[in-house]
Amino acid sequence: MNVIAGARELVTRHMRESGIFVAFVAIVALFAALNPFFLSPNNLTNIVLQYSYILILAIGMVMIIVAGQIDLSVGSVVALTGAVSAVVVIREGMPWYVGALAALVVGLLVGAWQGFWVAFVGIPGFIVTLAGMLLFRGLTYRVLDNVSLSPFGGTYYDIANGFQNGLLGGMGFDVFTLVIFAIAVVGYAVSQWRTRRGRVAYQQTVEGLPLFALKILIVAAVVMWFGYQLAQSRGLPNVLILLAVLVIVYGLVTQKSVFGRHVYAVGGNKHAAELSGVKVRRVNFWIFVNMGFLASVAGIVFSSRMNGAQPGAGNMFELDAIAACFIGGASTTGGVGRVGGAMIGGLIMAVMSNGMQLMGVPQSIQQVIKGLVLLLAVAFDIYNKRRAAALR
Amino acid sequence: MTPGRTPLLALRQISKSFGAVEALVGVDLEVHGHQVVALVGDNGAGKSTLAKVIAGVLQPDSGLIELDGAPVTIPSASAATRMGVASVFQDLALCENLDVTANVFLGQEVRGRLGMLHDGEMETETRALLRHLTVRIPSVRTPLRNLSGGQRQAVAIARTLIGNPRIVVLDEPTAALSVAQTAEVLTHIERLRELGLGVILISHNLNDVRAVSDRIEVLRHGRNNGSFPGDASHEAILAAITGAGSPSL
Repeated sequence: MNVIAGARELVTRHMRESGIFVAFVAIVALFAALNPFFLSPNNLTNIVLQYSYILILAIGMVMIIVAGQIDLSVGSVVALTGAVSAVVVIREGMPWYVGALAALVVGLLVGAWQGFWVAFVGIPGFIVTLAGMLLFRGLTYRVLDNVSLSPFGGTYYDIANGFQNGLLGGMGFDVFTLVIFAIAVVGYAVSQWRTRRGRVAYQQTVEGLPLFALKILIVAAVVMWFGYQLAQSRGLPNVLILLAVLVIVYGLVTQKSVFGRHVYAVGGNKHAAELSGVKVRRVNFWIFVNMGFLASVAGIVFSSRMNGAQPGAGNMFELDAIAACFIGGASTTGGVGRVGGAMIGGLIMAVMSNGMQLMGVPQSIQQVIKGLVLLLAVAFDIYNKRRAAALR
Repeated sequence: MTPGRTPLLALRQISKSFGAVEALVGVDLEVHGHQVVALVGDNGAGKSTLAKVIAGVLQPDSGLIELDGAPVTIPSASAATRMGVASVFQDLALCENLDVTANVFLGQEVRGRLGMLHDGEMETETRALLRHLTVRIPSVRTPLRNLSGGQRQAVAIARTLIGNPRIVVLDEPTAALSVAQTAEVLTHIERLRELGLGVILISHNLNDVRAVSDRIEVLRHGRNNGSFPGDASHEAILAAITGAGSPSL
């Protein structure tokens, strides 16, 4: 009885976050029931590979949305950075890392350009990045002379298509993958335990110990099962390692660093942040530089996955990334949103696209359904806020 | 007040205009430690302008600001904070999406290892501050949007105490508060005085002002228009505010 009461309390307290998580689990269960192939090792690997660049973009986008801005240019920046890399590696015949480095530099420059107009000239991010969307798409066409470049091949191709497999030997499955996942699970459990202990020390309400253990156990089971599926397929995708590192680093930056705190402050009340001594302009500048950086990372991953650069690459990526943030609980008015939420939002989009493709749902219907999901997610957010305001 | 003692903060002949509008004309003001000085006046009398001059948000066109008898210029809000002048502005400078601790330390975060936020220390400090001010708040991790107006005002006042200020400027802290919440905020102000700070309280609610102030300075059309002891009659202050029988004419 106590556990049930505790569970209900946990669910209502984290309604917004757990709501999205429950939705995610429900969607996965639905597709698993409809298509036996959906949870197969190969398909799970595919989902990771297919949508990783959206997830990378969503990390930067959620920071921009939290600060009360928006970035419409990321699709074009993905195309431009991929194109620059292709020109360096394929046309000029330089090594793969020179191409990757060139893409990162272009991404940082693009970010600094947009950050300058937003932060120091004071033009809304919406306008600056709308201009950037056209500008960088046009530059992509110039850089590529209107033709596609391929193939990269070699190490560059392996960035998005390679796997870590057999490093510790295998017995029908990759041991290395399982070890990495086990380390991740232990790390998660330890950090959750420390948070909980901190809460107890500050006399805050925490869920009961059985419920806490149950939560950790469920997460551990799901993660290890996912790891086992990957281990049975081709091993640990390089992209997943990259994504995990980015999620952990940006999780720390947004939740534990002074800069992250200031991003939330600017999004919550720009005027108050300014009066409190937060350097609002500097925050705005750096979140756009950071977005440029992550867009170039996504550009490298995408061009590697496509094994080439196309002038039309990355079209509409910005909308997928923005949708991931809003489905994942970011607020349209700024100040609210988390990297973890954006990841789940992005995974919901990924799982829906992949599941519907497997079922042979026509592209047109897929778009309709994704649009409705986005609308419902934001409606749910607004409903929750109204209810919270009424409770006060 | 002990005459002859150097005031913590003294303003001498401060003037400030916005275009053709003279917001402040030759205003004088002195504040000592352990003292609450109220600044009253009608709308547009220059109260908030004066507060912003003290807080470093606005620069005076002419006149002198002295801290401990030494002339200073206060070029920015963060410079004011460094000099020990903390302010609570009329439009509460708080972020509703952040929790109590984050708001109290906003812009002055304590850094721990690797330059990361030192949440534990900030929370301990916040709890101590709130206890000093006898503020009751469910938890220092409560987001501001879940607090009442009075509690938010208390957080704003607690905010000013970070970095051991000597002077606190409160711009209309009781506007838009219920009677009970106003009483609470007035207790916090008395606590500030007991902690030895000089408090400048800006308000146009004479009841609040007379309840806590040691001295009441009246501004009218940007000029000093009388100085009263804290127990002066309501009518005398009102007359100075409205200009009825104004002594300066």
